[in-house]
Amino acid sequence: MGAIVYAAAMSHVLFPEYYEKNVGAHGRRMVEELIGVVRDMGTRLHAAQPDAIVIVADDHLNVFSFDAVPALCVRIGRSVERMVQDDAIEFDRALEGLPDRYPLHEELANRILECGLDEGFDFAASWSAPLDHAFLSPLATLYGDRAIPPLVPFWVNCFIAPQPTPRRCAAAGQLIARVVGESPWRVAVIATGGLSHFPELSLARVGQSDPEFDHKIVAWMEAGDHASLAALTVRELHTTGSHELLNWMVLLGAVAPARAKVRFFGEMGRIDLAALDWNLA
Amino acid sequence: VSRYAVNVLLYRLKKDREFRMRFDDDRAAALAGADLTDAERRAFVEWDLRRLNELGGSLHLLLSIPLKLGGPEMAPPTPQRSPGAG
Repeated sequence: MGAIVYAAAMSHVLFPEYYEKNVGAHGRRMVEELIGVVRDMGTRLHAAQPDAIVIVADDHLNVFSFDAVPALCVRIGRSVERMVQDDAIEFDRALEGLPDRYPLHEELANRILECGLDEGFDFAASWSAPLDHAFLSPLATLYGDRAIPPLVPFWVNCFIAPQPTPRRCAAAGQLIARVVGESPWRVAVIATGGLSHFPELSLARVGQSDPEFDHKIVAWMEAGDHASLAALTVRELHTTGSHELLNWMVLLGAVAPARAKVRFFGEMGRIDLAALDWNLA
Repeated sequence: VSRYAVNVLLYRLKKDREFRMRFDDDRAAALAGADLTDAERRAFVEWDLRRLNELGGSLHLLLSIPLKLGGPEMAPPTPQRSPGAG
C-alpha cells in the first residue's frame, strides 16, 4: 500500500540574483537564508526515499499560452524537458545551468489522470509541456547533486481568470492522496510559489506583499485549519497577490488533516517568502 | 475586448526571437497585421508596460520579455524590513 511519505511547500524563485536586482542586498540575504532551509528540507525529503514526486506548480504563461489554459493539468509521458528561454531575464534566469531533461513517473501520472477523470475531475493531460522555474528552482535546491526521483508535474492555473477555486484544488489533492494510497509507491508531494506578491497582477503594485494575510494562512496551516483555507475565495487570492496559494491548496488536500511545520517565513516587501513541511507520521 | 490579442502578441514577443528583433527594430511595422485597438497598438508602439498591463496584458509576460530597448519598468523597491518583522 502506498503512502505520501513527505510533503513540503515553498516559494519558488530560489535565485539570489533576481532579488538582489529587484530588492537589493536585503532580498539576496533573505533568499539565501531560505535556500539553506530548503536544502535542509531536501535532506529530509531524500531520507524519505520517495519513488516519485508529485510537484504542483503554476504556469507563468510559458507553457500553455492563451490558446488553451487548463485549470488543472497532469504531465504524462516518460520524461520532461526544462523550459528554454533565449535571452532570459528576471525569474526565467533561475533556470540557467539546470539539467535539460527529467524522468517522469509515467504510471503514477496516468493513474492520477485516469482516476481523476473517473471521479469527475476533468484534468487536462500534456505530453509536451516543459517545466519552468516554478518546478525546477525548488527541485534543484532540494536535491542539489542527488538524483531527482521520477516526477509527476501537476499544473494549476493560478493566473488566468477564471481560476479553479481553493476548495476545488484541495479536492484534487484529496484525489491524488487516494490514488497514492491505492498504489504501491512511496510518494512525496511538493507545492511551490508564494507567498503574497504581485497583488491584482498589477504592474503598478509590483513591490507590495500582504504580510497580514500571509501570517493568517500560515497560522491556519500550522493549526491544521484546512476548512478556513478551503473557504478562501479566488478574489481574496487575487487582491492579496496570493494566486500561487492554489498550488499549496492541492498539497493541503493531499495531506489533510496534517499540521504544517514552518521552516521559514520572511517578509521582503516585494514578496513574503516561506517554506513549510508537514508532519505525516 | 481583445485581451487575447494583446497576450498573444506578448507571448510571441517572449518566445519568438525573430519577431522580437523585428519589434525592436520597428515596432509599428512589426505590428502591422495585428488585430489591435488603437489604444493597444499605441501602448505596444510606445512600449508602455503599465498601459499594456491595464489593457489586460499578463504581468508575468510583461516582466520577462527580453527586449533590447525598454526593459521592464520595475516599481522601486519597497522599504526594507527585517525577516519575520511585523
